[in-house]
Amino acid sequence: MRFVIVGCGRVGARLSNQLSLEGHDVAVIDRNPAAFRRLSRTFRGQAIEGVGFDRDVLVRAGIEMADGFASVTNGDNTNIVSARIARQIFRVPKVVTRIYDPLRAEIYRRLGIQTISPTDWGAGRIAEILLHPGLTTQLSLGHGEVKVLEVSATEHVSGHRVEELTIPGEMVVAGLVRDGRAVVPTPGTRFRTGDLIYVAIDTLSIPRLEEMLRLP
Amino acid sequence: MNVLIVGGGLTGTFLAGQLVSEGQNVTVVEKNDAAAERFREALPAVRLVVGDGDDPAVLEEAGIRRVDAVVAATGEDEDNLVVCILARQEFGVRRTLARINNPKNEWLFTPEMGVDASVSQAHVMADLLRRQMQPAG
Repeated sequence: MRFVIVGCGRVGARLSNQLSLEGHDVAVIDRNPAAFRRLSRTFRGQAIEGVGFDRDVLVRAGIEMADGFASVTNGDNTNIVSARIARQIFRVPKVVTRIYDPLRAEIYRRLGIQTISPTDWGAGRIAEILLHPGLTTQLSLGHGEVKVLEVSATEHVSGHRVEELTIPGEMVVAGLVRDGRAVVPTPGTRFRTGDLIYVAIDTLSIPRLEEMLRLP
Repeated sequence: MNVLIVGGGLTGTFLAGQLVSEGQNVTVVEKNDAAAERFREALPAVRLVVGDGDDPAVLEEAGIRRVDAVVAATGEDEDNLVVCILARQEFGVRRTLARINNPKNEWLFTPEMGVDASVSQAHVMADLLRRQMQPAG
């Protein structure tokens, strides 16, 4: 597949290296040619000096044939404008952009641009490690009102049945991974130490789950 | 008419002054403190909001939901585009106008991108100068 990446900072370079390593055609654009030093020796794509909303630069990068487009410069507005061009003008099927400001990320998501807000994600993840050690969010639904959490079955839950971790309207066991294989548990399934348990839960009920699992 | 101008530099200030003298109701948003100060000195009676014009919260504070037109007049083309996109898509402003700083970016200022009309200063100036080169008569 062909990808165009705007911004060759840490994220852009890493993304370009990875896609190139996986055998894809990659063109990475940056206004500062020194940024291309971040590309690894295995990078086989194009490095193009220029601005991510310059038509000539985008065409040279092959945006007209691109399957995917990502704008990851350190300027939110540059990312938004580039993403919008990729989508509205060049009709690239898959467009992703990084936006630091979570509020704006939400607005652009509504405009049909898939946005990643590292600020939001990073802060949420750090808060989670501080507040809920032992639980990992796998999926956050809506504005995070409902989450799918991963928790490793401890000896404390071993032998208990899945319905003991179910509270209607609050939490339900959505899946289990046992010996590397995922299953949807049926009532009566008993946990074993080492199972990875996936619980879909109302965020407000997380303390209750922690209590039930005797987590710290 | 209620007009919101984003960017209170030379262009924004001059335009605000003209609109006010025509009796229009104008609000200006400027993020730079020094430029905001200069604006206050030049047009003390015009409502000024100091903040980022590409921040939806600042635009709301400036009353974007009640304006008839938004003019994006900053010195950065990507900022002007974002202001127009927000004005149109998020706030449903009826008329969006933008200043184009770099003529290379003219192709971006289209209704598809949320811009109803734009003025490319380099383009306009070049046209006028070219016209003046013809001998009069």
